[in-house]
Amino acid sequence: MALYPSMKASSSSVTPPMRDPRTWSRTLHALAYLAGALLLVTHALWLYLMGYYASILLPTLLAPMMLLAALLRLGHKDHARVSALLVLACGYLLIAMELPRLSLPAPLWVGMPPVLTLLLLPLGPATLVNILSTPLWLWLGNGLQELDLTLGYLTLVVVASLAPREALRQQALLKATAPHDPECPALNRQTLHDRLYSECERALHLQQRLAVVMIHLPQLDMAGEQFGRAARQALLDSLCREVARRCRDHDLLGRESQADFWLVLSDTSENGALMVCQRLEEALHRTILLETGPVECRLATSLLQPQETTERFEQRLVASTHRLAET
Amino acid sequence: MQSKYKIGKSIHRIGLFRGNLLLAAFLLALLAATADTLPGALLLWLAAGWLGITASLLEFSHRRPAMLPWQLLPGLLLTGLLWTEPDRYPLWLWAWAVLIMLPQPRWLITLTALLALLSGWSLLTWLPWDQAMLSGLVLIGLMALGLARQYGLQHLHGQARQRMRLIPELRLWPREQLESDLVRERSRAQREEVHAELLLLRTKRHQLWALARQLCTLTRRFESCYRIDGRTLAALLISQDAGQAASRRQRLLHSLGSSTKCRAVPLPHVESLSEECHGLVSQHESLLVVGDTAHA
Repeated sequence: MALYPSMKASSSSVTPPMRDPRTWSRTLHALAYLAGALLLVTHALWLYLMGYYASILLPTLLAPMMLLAALLRLGHKDHARVSALLVLACGYLLIAMELPRLSLPAPLWVGMPPVLTLLLLPLGPATLVNILSTPLWLWLGNGLQELDLTLGYLTLVVVASLAPREALRQQALLKATAPHDPECPALNRQTLHDRLYSECERALHLQQRLAVVMIHLPQLDMAGEQFGRAARQALLDSLCREVARRCRDHDLLGRESQADFWLVLSDTSENGALMVCQRLEEALHRTILLETGPVECRLATSLLQPQETTERFEQRLVASTHRLAET
Repeated sequence: MQSKYKIGKSIHRIGLFRGNLLLAAFLLALLAATADTLPGALLLWLAAGWLGITASLLEFSHRRPAMLPWQLLPGLLLTGLLWTEPDRYPLWLWAWAVLIMLPQPRWLITLTALLALLSGWSLLTWLPWDQAMLSGLVLIGLMALGLARQYGLQHLHGQARQRMRLIPELRLWPREQLESDLVRERSRAQREEVHAELLLLRTKRHQLWALARQLCTLTRRFESCYRIDGRTLAALLISQDAGQAASRRQRLLHSLGSSTKCRAVPLPHVESLSEECHGLVSQHESLLVVGDTAHA
């Protein structure tokens, strides 16, 4: 029978949260917007010194808008979309006003708006906006008469849109191949079911028993709604930590649905599974979190019966998980 | 199944991506055909060819790792184009901002920034210095936005990269995964009293992925396969005892064909993964079973 040491030597599945690259992204965005505002102010000053008084109005009006965009990006509530749209509008206005006046060389600046769009909007909307605005930029840049400029512009737009598409491909690929749940170190649903099948096959092949402990966290939804993401994360973390501490290295914890988890215990009898259940329940009740108090959980066990197919076992597990969540 | 649906959708997207790549290659070829000078035409033809080849090689797997510095190639092409003909293709200056948006290693980001600076410098040859200054500063701002976008997309990368399947829905894992699985499987096999062994296979570079697919289909569902490097694959085989393991290994190697060099090591005998890999490279036999020689 399997033995369950109360302490486990290594808990490789629990890792400290790394520094979020999204904060970096936010800071960089805000910095870029701020730099844009500064550039506009400098440009206005330059125009003043050179005596082009008629052109000063636009940059002076746009600089506070950029500043607002930077503040919106940095603020407590993230308004990424709004600030991106503001910056996009600023860029468009500036180029649209300056291009016909020939103060900016058209062959260079006509390429700036589509690139700015691709940088600020998600790929789908950006492509749409770029297609719709193509005649406008070509007309403003006198590109309609120059075939070269039209061809160059179109090529730039198509080639530039390859980069966000490649980034999206990589992201979709990471999602399809990452074995872990995005919120906690447990396995995601697809990997969990995959591993359940392989564990069943292994149990059959090596003539071993297999037990699954189902865990339901009734507080999870409520914690998220009432206390926010941090409380929810604390609940998930405490479950994963206790499981990692009390189970063997090769026991699999996976997330079946939002608040339901399966713990797959290989080569384990009914008694062994019940013992794990009891220890886990005690440990979780003893864990007291700041906002939600002691961690509540409902547990049930299920054993792979002899001559039972994996599909049947899987269905049985899903059904008992539903029952566990409803009681 | 939901996951199947997701992957199907992604493969559909790959088709769209391929179309986009081919369109870009076609437009670049048109641009190259209308170019005035030889260096410009040459660079544009190169870029078109590269995009065409990429379109034909594109697939939905980690087979060609994203962090391989292929981003250097478009960067160099862009520098060449802007440096040789800044007055003919100034439009392409803005492409730097999207190039830096791709996930890439840190040193490459620095290099890209330097190359962008260099090509910004070339603007001075045909623009008054205040105009060149202005466009350079705007480009820096745009590149910061591109970098921000890259960080925004990056939150899935990092640690996850070492634990993921190399091809969706195939039990093929990276080397880092094997190093942790070795420790886990050794203690598990000891506790369950079963025979577990590490099988290392060395093959020719171009046969690796075909062999990996074959290995994944021939092993049982609970046995994982790993890609160690460009020429080496590994699998953790689990059997009830040593006798069964030997006959199973023989059958497996027979169906895999003879073009490989193999080394089988029972898990208790495995010193470290890198040592076993060294052993595989230096061994002369086409099959070496480590436990056997210890007995003999």
